[in-house]
Amino acid sequence: MTVRSMGLALGWLLLSSPVWAGDSDPLQSPMWGFHQTRFLGTAPYEFDERVVLTAPPFAEDSRQVPISIDASALGQEVVRIVAWAELNPIAHIFSFFPEGPVAPRIALNIRVEQATPLRAAVLTRDGVWHVGSTRVDAAGGGCTAPSAVRAEAGWEEHLGEIFGARFPAGEGSRLRLRVSHPMDNGLSGGIPEFFIERAELRGAAGQRLASLELHPSVSENPTLTLQLGEADAGQRLWLRDNNGNEFEAAF
Amino acid sequence: MRLLSLLVAIFLSLPLAAAELAYDLQPRQIAADTWLLEGSTENFAASNGGNIVNVAFIVTEAGVVLIDTGISKRYGEALRAAIGRVTERPIVLVINTHHHPDHVFGNQAFSDVPIASLARTRELLAEQGGAFADNMYRLLGDWMRGTEVLLPGETLEPGVREIGGHRLQLLAFSGHTGADLAIFDQTTGVLFAADLVFYQRALTTPQTPGLDVWLSDLEALEKLPYTLLVPGHGPVATGREPFAQMRDYLGWLDGLLRAAVAEGQDMNEAMRAPIPERFAAISLTRFELIRTVSHLYPKYEAQVFQRVDAGE
Ligand SMILES: [Zn+2]
Repeated sequence: MTVRSMGLALGWLLLSSPVWAGDSDPLQSPMWGFHQTRFLGTAPYEFDERVVLTAPPFAEDSRQVPISIDASALGQEVVRIVAWAELNPIAHIFSFFPEGPVAPRIALNIRVEQATPLRAAVLTRDGVWHVGSTRVDAAGGGCTAPSAVRAEAGWEEHLGEIFGARFPAGEGSRLRLRVSHPMDNGLSGGIPEFFIERAELRGAAGQRLASLELHPSVSENPTLTLQLGEADAGQRLWLRDNNGNEFEAAF
Repeated sequence: MRLLSLLVAIFLSLPLAAAELAYDLQPRQIAADTWLLEGSTENFAASNGGNIVNVAFIVTEAGVVLIDTGISKRYGEALRAAIGRVTERPIVLVINTHHHPDHVFGNQAFSDVPIASLARTRELLAEQGGAFADNMYRLLGDWMRGTEVLLPGETLEPGVREIGGHRLQLLAFSGHTGADLAIFDQTTGVLFAADLVFYQRALTTPQTPGLDVWLSDLEALEKLPYTLLVPGHGPVATGREPFAQMRDYLGWLDGLLRAAVAEGQDMNEAMRAPIPERFAAISLTRFELIRTVSHLYPKYEAQVFQRVDAGE
């Protein structure tokens, strides 16, 4: 092979298959490779601007940092969304499996222990991960700060209370809610892990429309925003914590 | 030779390394007996040493009444020296208008003088001062060296208090932090509004009991027959413009948050809401909007959310 043909081959490789070669990280984070291996394994991936991961530039409250992920540009092809905060002691935030009328969009609040890159990796049906990234600055300590929920007398009586509403959104609708739960991550005050680990959005007949696996980097009293392509789909939300408590809401 | 050049290099770098951080405080007379140290309208930064606040003093016949003490021990010491360049009279009273760090962290330089505040201000500073200090050390570094929370030892009650020929009307409000003192000098017509009024600088909301509370405070404050207004942050004014700006801005913030929760926006969407062109001259609007959404969004959400679990 001549030098020229090698160059051509290399050029072809770069143009046609960045996915297989592994894209270069837009945030240039030294932790990317570690988490890529952990969450994506050996699957192909690309950094993709169609995955919009939004967070404020700085965390005003490290215990409640809002993040929003919108992969609707990838449409019906999305099968899973995994989000993580690279420098958190518990990096994994959630894994979300939207189906049917549930759009590949989600917003919730997280804790951050320090300034960190955030990632949302979106798996499409063809087996490729599409990665959106952003960075949040933070004074820190959000993961190890004492619980504000537990500081309030009688919080146990409110455990699992859900406040929320459905809002019209274009042709479809949006569900927003907040669940009373300390979401203890086991890192503060010798309190063991106690957190909502699973949620399912279901139709009126109980059929599953989307499922969500949560980890305790999600803030206490977690908020959740979900988007649906239909005005009234997703009438029931079911939640379960790691102690086996189940909670249910109706929309 | 190499060692020599190394020594020369070290010697040359010494003055820089040892340069003392210093606040350049120049009191400016704004009314009879009344002096102002005007801070910048920036955020806390190592480049400004946290000198972002307005501090004022009145030279009465009985001595100096100081209104707020600045962000650090070092600022307080520079402030005391600056007052000493204006008058030889002693400082007889130091007032902390509210418990925010930029208004009280210079207290240590006046530990030999009565320091007074509303009772609730002292409670709030005792509760939150440690966290404020941690945050300021992180933001300002060496400027904060030696700074510790010094609680005011005396309690102020609302009402008129005469000091050295100045009739000072003390007014207790709560819209900015839960305990906010304004001082109207009836003798000179100067109104020290502290952080109830921000002018040309976006207002801050971390401890506000509610924007509606703040708006009603402003209504009462604006009725005072002042001839000069000293805001907590931003330039002084003779007219009513700062009140008009505050009402406009608070009304916009409140409306924005109400509309955002009513439409079902998430917090990031509200944080990215457009800022009206008419607020272009106000510094730090986007920064403070992000903070305000963090502070207040759950309260506004509670107004549109209903109980949806089966428990009820
Ligand atoms: Zn203030």
